Amino acid sequence: MRKRASVGRGKSVPPPSWLYLKWSMNYGNFSLVRIALAQISPHLGDLRRNLDLHFHYIEKAKKKRADLLVFPELSLTGYTLMDMVAEVALVPGKETIFRKFKAASQEISLVIGFVEELEKGLFYNSAAFLSGGKILHVHRKVFLPTFGMFDEARFFAQGKNFHAFPTPYGKAGMMICRDFLSYGASYLLFTGGAEIIIVLSAAPGRGMAQEEAYETSHMWELMGEAVSRFSTVFLIYCNRVGFEDGKHFAGGSFIFDPSGKMVARASYVDQDFLLQDINTDEIRQGRKKWPYKRDDKPEVILEALKRIVSKYED
Amino acid sequence: MKINEVFVEKILTSFIREELYKFNYKKGILGLSGGLDSSVCAFLAAKALQPQNVICLILPYGEAFSQDVKDAQEIAKLLGVRSKKIDISPMVNAYFSRSPTKNRVAKGNKMARERMSILYDFSSREKALILGTSNKTELLLGYGTIHGDMACAINPLGDLYKTQVKQLARHLRVPEKIQSKPPSAGLWTGQTDEGELGLTYEEMDEILFQLVDKRMSRKEVIASGFKKAAVEKIIRLMKNSEFKRKLAPIPKISSRTVGHDFLYPYDWDR
Repeated sequence: MRKRASVGRGKSVPPPSWLYLKWSMNYGNFSLVRIALAQISPHLGDLRRNLDLHFHYIEKAKKKRADLLVFPELSLTGYTLMDMVAEVALVPGKETIFRKFKAASQEISLVIGFVEELEKGLFYNSAAFLSGGKILHVHRKVFLPTFGMFDEARFFAQGKNFHAFPTPYGKAGMMICRDFLSYGASYLLFTGGAEIIIVLSAAPGRGMAQEEAYETSHMWELMGEAVSRFSTVFLIYCNRVGFEDGKHFAGGSFIFDPSGKMVARASYVDQDFLLQDINTDEIRQGRKKWPYKRDDKPEVILEALKRIVSKYED
Repeated sequence: MKINEVFVEKILTSFIREELYKFNYKKGILGLSGGLDSSVCAFLAAKALQPQNVICLILPYGEAFSQDVKDAQEIAKLLGVRSKKIDISPMVNAYFSRSPTKNRVAKGNKMARERMSILYDFSSREKALILGTSNKTELLLGYGTIHGDMACAINPLGDLYKTQVKQLARHLRVPEKIQSKPPSAGLWTGQTDEGELGLTYEEMDEILFQLVDKRMSRKEVIASGFKKAAVEKIIRLMKNSEFKRKLAPIPKISSRTVGHDFLYPYDWDR
């Protein structure tokens, strides 16, 4: 991992540089990762234009010397695909588009959202983590919202796992939008050893808040605060913006540190590019103070879940 | 029920701008009546697209609503948008001289469709997308003419109740006399929405808000203090107007059918 002495440069006020200096003197091993979030509005169903949009942000993030660039859910295709799902589906191992992303990931790690054809005719709402020229992990959305304004299970196959995987910045886990609203999903990544949780989102805003934001933006921030704090992880949430058929994606992408503090937040509803350095050593610091990870009891939970599930009636 | 006006203005202006640009339109066009909804829509369009890209058509029936015409012209001047007045009485009278009727609602519907026809003609002449001006109260109650004033390309005010449009109008500084004008569909002289519907907009909006947004049952809304007859009337109006909010049903014959399982977004490839 690159070690760097620069400090946070997101929209929030960064901690004073002397604090980092003191830290490094006290603890030595401090590791900064520069995170970039592309809060974009993809073109619905247009892979070619979205590819250009991605590379525009990849170049931008590289210029800013970011280590990791995160895009929102279905960033390569747009969200309201309906019957277009099959037409824009990709097989990561085969496609030219993915060869381009793999090549780009030699210089900057990438998280992108796309439609994946895993087996013939089975389409998933997927997220890929690419680094060092390789796809390190693909997460397939498990919780497909299908109610009210949402219709995902009608068009997508359901993913079945939440898996924490090694990256150059520590163990990471991914979730896609509604996955994150199921606290069981975060728990699995926490128990699996994730230190950085990345959420790709295409969350439309609903309801009026007091200030200039949608009520639902607070819902995501509340979860971000709770999960980051009680899992002592960095929580990176990248949402999209723009309109599709009148649905307004609410932006407000954010990063929480392992103490549950929001260290950066992008604009609500406008396109934005967020840049923030995180110090992964804060995970260690946090876990010394609050040993939730040490005291986790997955065996107890597993046995209790088995008992609950076994009592379900057919 | 209360909206954050600053945020809603931002949502609606971004929506108008983005939706037009996606479809490669620079200009928006709307029918300006001199009433509240179309004035608010004109204010939003002028902010979203720049005044020179907004065309307001003022489409009166003869001299019946001359004060509204003056108010509409004043709004257009205030905003610096292009406006054009076309009297629809020759076309409407030509039709009714051949097929006379005493039914004033039928006459009003014909007028609304005449205005629609002119708007679509100018939409094509000017390459301008039509902005609808129907609010949520009207859409839910079906208080509009199908293929008339309900016809449009995008409908910025469609998720705001009338009382919320009023709140937005205050924030946008729509002239006071337009804010205080009794809402009217302009179907005949002296017609007001509240008179015709028999309820105030405050009552209608609150009942609708409880039924639609809060998903309360008929019983719960009545228990919250509304008259049974009023709640039942609102429910009846909603049920009887669902056809105005949908594409016409198509009998399914093939394996893939428009309106059933040929499913693409409005913003397909945009």
